[in-house]
Formats: sequence, C-alpha cells, structure tokens
Amino acid sequence: MNIAVCRPQVPFARGGAEIFADELVRQLRDRGHEAEIVSVPFKWYPGQRVLTQAFLWRLLDLTEADGRKIDLVVATKFPSYCVRHPNKVVWLLHQFRQAYDLDRTELGQFSESAEDRATRRRVQRLDRTALGEARKLFATSRNVADRLQASTGLEAEVLPHPPQELAYRTDAYEPFVFSVGRLDRAKRIDLLIEAAAKQGVELVISGEGPDRERLERLANGRARFTGRVSEAELADLYARCRAVFYAPVDEDFGMVPFEAFLAEKPVVTTTDAGGPLDVVRERETGRVVEPTVDAVAAALVIGEDDARKWGQAGKALAQKVTWDSAIDRLLA
Amino acid sequence: MKVAYYSPMSPSRSGVADYSALLLPELEKRVDVVVARKGRFRRFPSADIALYHIGNDPEAHGWIAKALEARPGIVVLHEFVLHHLVAGLTLAHGDSRGYLDAMERGHGLAGRLLAFGVVEGRIPPLWETRPEAFPLAGDVLAAATGLIVHSYYVENRAREAGFEGPVWRIPHPAWPPGDVSPAQVEGSPLLGCFGHLNESKRIPQLLAAFARLRAAKPDARLLLVGALADRLAGMSVPEGVIREDYVPEERLWSLMAACDAIVSLRSPTMGETSGAAIRALTLGKPLVVSDVGWFSELPDEVAIRVPVDEREVETLAAALEQLAVDGAARGEMGGAARELVEREHSLPHVADLYAAALEEAAGGGAVREVLLKDIAQAAGEIGIEAADPELGEVSARLDEVGLGG
Repeated sequence: MNIAVCRPQVPFARGGAEIFADELVRQLRDRGHEAEIVSVPFKWYPGQRVLTQAFLWRLLDLTEADGRKIDLVVATKFPSYCVRHPNKVVWLLHQFRQAYDLDRTELGQFSESAEDRATRRRVQRLDRTALGEARKLFATSRNVADRLQASTGLEAEVLPHPPQELAYRTDAYEPFVFSVGRLDRAKRIDLLIEAAAKQGVELVISGEGPDRERLERLANGRARFTGRVSEAELADLYARCRAVFYAPVDEDFGMVPFEAFLAEKPVVTTTDAGGPLDVVRERETGRVVEPTVDAVAAALVIGEDDARKWGQAGKALAQKVTWDSAIDRLLA
Repeated sequence: MKVAYYSPMSPSRSGVADYSALLLPELEKRVDVVVARKGRFRRFPSADIALYHIGNDPEAHGWIAKALEARPGIVVLHEFVLHHLVAGLTLAHGDSRGYLDAMERGHGLAGRLLAFGVVEGRIPPLWETRPEAFPLAGDVLAAATGLIVHSYYVENRAREAGFEGPVWRIPHPAWPPGDVSPAQVEGSPLLGCFGHLNESKRIPQLLAAFARLRAAKPDARLLLVGALADRLAGMSVPEGVIREDYVPEERLWSLMAACDAIVSLRSPTMGETSGAAIRALTLGKPLVVSDVGWFSELPDEVAIRVPVDEREVETLAAALEQLAVDGAARGEMGGAARELVEREHSLPHVADLYAAALEEAAGGGAVREVLLKDIAQAAGEIGIEAADPELGEVSARLDEVGLGG
C-alpha cells in the first residue's frame, strides 16, 4: 500500500509526536509498504492563526502523488487530521487542547474576547467534521479517547503506540531521576525540580523547549540539563537512572513510560497525569502521587530493590505493545 | 463575552418563562448575561450579542419581536408558526395594513386577499383555524442572524422558508425532578395527559381511545390535568377520567409520577416541544405521542408514535392497551427515557450547547474575516484573483470544514 503519514511540524522542535510518526513510517516500510511523512509547519498563534494553519491541511490533495494512488492516509494530531482523503484513518495523539480542557487555565491561549471565544468554537467544529469523516478513529490512550468522546461525541478505539526502538538495556540503578521531553509548562518539570530540591535528589533533564531558561534558573545548578540527546545517549540515560519522572498535566499518553519500562525503570507520576495512569500503577510499576511538591518529593526516593521490581513489572506490560499488532489494527 | 437575553420571565405563565427560569442560572455560569426587561429596551443593553426567545404568544413575545426587529440577533425559535404573534403585533393594535403586508410577504397576493377576509370579518381568524398553513415566520427569520431550534422539524421548516444563516439544534433542557412522591391516585393502569388542554391536544380522540381501553381494562383511569380550552369546555368527561384543572408545579410532578404512562398528543403542530413530555421522560415514564413535528423525533425506545390519520383512535387504543398489559415494556421504555434525558436534555449539556452557539455567533464573523483575509492575501500575492477557479476550490474546502459560512 502507498501510505501517507500526516503530522504537523513545529520547526526546530522534536518531541514524542515526531518520533512516533517517523517510527510508524519505518515500521510500515519494514512490512513492505510505501510509506512517507507528509508534514506542514504549524504555528498556532496569534489568535485566529490556528484556523488558517489548520486549513492549509485541507487544501492538500493526497489522493495521488506523481500519478501513483495514495491508498491510505494516517493522520496523527491537530491539525493534520483536517486532511481530505477517501481513506483517512486517524491515530489520534491529541486534539488542540487549548480549545478544550486547557481553556481558561494558565496553559490556555484563548482570551475572553468574542473573537477568541469564537475561534475556539471553530476549532471544535473543525474537529467534529474532520475527525467525524475518518474511516477509522483510534486514540493513543483511554484518556485521549475519553476527551474526544466528551468534546465531540466521537468514539475512538484505544490503540497505544509502541515506544521508539532504542537499544534499551538496564545497566544500573544510579541515584538520579531522569526526565525527558519538551520543556514547556505542561510537562511540569518545575514540580520535579522543586520536589528534588527538597530531598536532595539528583536530576538529569533532557530535551529542549520554551521553558528551559526558566527551569534552569529554578534548578539553580542542582540539575543537569543536557538539551536534546542522541538515541544512544537517551538509551544510556534510561539504562543508568534510578527512576523516570513523567507527570504532565492530564497528558495524552506520551512514550516515556513505556521507554522507561523497557529499560526496567519505574515511573513517578501524579494522580492528574492522565494517559500515564493507563500503565503506571502505584507501587506496582512506579509511584502515583498527588501533584504537590511534598508528595512528589517523597515519591522520588525509591530504593534500588523497589526500582528494579517495579521496572521489571513495567517491562512486562510494555512488551505487550508491539508494532505488529498496532499495524494490523491500523490497516484492517 | 456578554449576552443580552430577551425572554418572558416570571411571573409570566408562558412556557418560555419557565424555560428561561430553568436555563438562565446554568447559562450564567458560562457567559455573562444581561437580562433585558419588557419596557426597558429603548436603550439596548451593551453586549456582544443579543439572544431573543420567540414564541407565538403576543403577550409574552410581542416586545421581544419588536426588539429583534430593531437590533438583529440570535433567535431561539420555540415554535415555527408565529401567526398569532404577528396578528397580535398588528391587528390587535389596529394595524390592519401591517397584517395585510405580513400576509403578502409570507404568502403573496393570495395571502393578502385572505387577510382582507379576516380583517373584514368575512372568514374566521386564520390563527384560530389554519395557522400552520400560514406560519408568518418570515419577518423573524429575516431579522435573525442565527437560529437556535429544538428540533430538526423547525430547522427544516426554517430552511424551506429560505433561512440561510447558521442553525444550532439544542434539545429542550430537562427540569431536575427533585424529590417527587407519587400522588395517591387509583388506576390500573393509570394514564396521564398534562398541559393546557386545547383542541390540538386531540382530547376527543384520546377519550375515544381510552373508552376502548376501558372496555378491556375496567380498572384503567385517565388523569386529565390542565386548564380546558373554551371550545372544549362543554365536553363531557367519560367514566374513568379524573379531571384536575391547572395545578402547581409540585402537584404536577407528583401526579405525573403516579402514572404508568403519559399521553402527549398534538395536531396540528406549530413546531413546538412539549414541557410535559420532557417532564415525563425525566421521570422515566413511557410516552404515547402523535407522529408529528418534534414528537416524531423522539426515539422508538421511549415513545410510541401514533399517526394522525383516519385510524388514529384505533392505533392510539392499541398503543394504550399494549402499555397497559406489558409492564416489562413500560420498564424498558422508562429506563431508555431516563438515559435519553441524561444524554441529550441534561441542563449542563444544554447550557454548554447554548454557550457554544453564542460564542460562535458573537465572534464568528470576525474570525471568518481574518481567515478569509489571510487566504485572499496569500492568493493575491501569487497572482490568484478572486474570479480564478482556484479560489472556488478554496471556497469549497472552507465550506466542508465549517469555516466558510
């Protein structure tokens, strides 16, 4: 099959969604399909710009390329699923959350002006149409599926995505907690830094993002910021850390918990983290605590034996999520 | 965002006043609302958008229709047929010409001639005899920048009448039933019919069908609750029928709760919903309704629909008998009714839909303008002109995803 995998691209940013789409393409190719990334730069501000950007996807003609029929498009996140195709499957990583659950929070972007309120509603209407016309709708976690159902009334099957293929291994349980991901407010790295400072826990923080400068000031030298790391470095950090912190606000899913598990490392998360709660279970595969500095601080202190035991339990879960089963369902 | 809210309010006994009393507190949690009062609209409240509740009763809605005419806005069209309203705004104030003009605008020269007949007393008032054939909704539709309706029926009628603006279909909200104790009323089964008992409620047909049921089930009783219209005042009430006049809200719920099934017939329909039917669904009562208008849109799981035809009484009697003998079916329908209310008619859900519609409407024009300007500018910069076919394609794609209009 000729398959176009659609994903928006924030230039110079690379996170879980980009890794996921790249990996999906690779896995499809490994199974004999012609697969290609189709990407359009995404800028969601100021104001109504988000609609113009979304609409760009609608203007693309992906029915064929250079005379070759494109049999299937797989769209991943807002606004790539606005693309038009008779055989559109959506594997939803997330909607534009500023128009939904993040609205009127400090992470929201729409003001109380009539124009901003209307823009938000237009995004919602766009979602109902663009997602509603998909031949099949998958969501990457129960949390994403529930949000979709609540916001649009559309039902999606839960299809967790396997983590990126790294040289996962378990070298040690060194006394540091590892965090990886885009450095923005939603990932709540500030909570981690404040909690770690309370217990004197060592931190390694990988990734780039708009919040880096603020976070580095907050850490005041008590955490090592690595910036973006190579796959080999990432595998090494997973292999050596004691535990992995992953507690964004009401997260979609994220690949981090499964990656940690494949390195047999437990995950520390919070009760309001959303998607991670599908797989992180209190004192079974990690720690699930209230999103307060005190609670997280206590949870970061994990003995080596517990870390190993919980990490191994997590690995058993992660190994069940394979590309073979995911692609079978996607193409069925 | 601020909304100027025009509606009859308590102490008006209008159903729309009840509706607003129910909706407003929940809506106010979502948007800023300034409630316009009758007689105080010379200076329009400062707001981003105005919302007008329009129904057929000139006493309750006449001042709102006038405000709408002066300042267009979103109309909640509680019923499609507005003949009585138009007559109240014109003839009742000695404005024969206004009525003639309205009839001509709605129904051409034939309409004007009929209106002459009414004005000169040669034919009975059309709003009493055939209002559904002369709905006179055109002026309200012309002033509406968007419509909120409760049914596909009214949406379709508005579209047929040429309304091209946005339409939001928002279900009628359900009243929270509170702590209801069923009244002590005999009857096995006990059927109920509630509301203002006028000719469109098919009371003679209901009584005829009930008499058939009584022949097979002598213990059956029919509660007939509500003020009787003048034309039905002389009607004899057959055996087994229990009459109560207008009852306060608490008693209404209590009587409904005592019933095994509730009958809510209607024909002709003006496109209205039925507050009694919504209450019945809330209480998990099976419904028997006429197969017309909004009532036709009730799912099979919660209502038996009776066509309004020459076999109406027979079909109705069969429906009543079916419910009388089949307790399990009544239970299933009651459960489905509660689920329907929870899913479609819950107050927070309805208020969410209102907030969405109002927010879309208030800023939608500006949003669309920015978007189109962006696209036009990009097209212009690379030499695509407004008349070029490429922009036709762009326009089609905009419409597909709801960004065009």
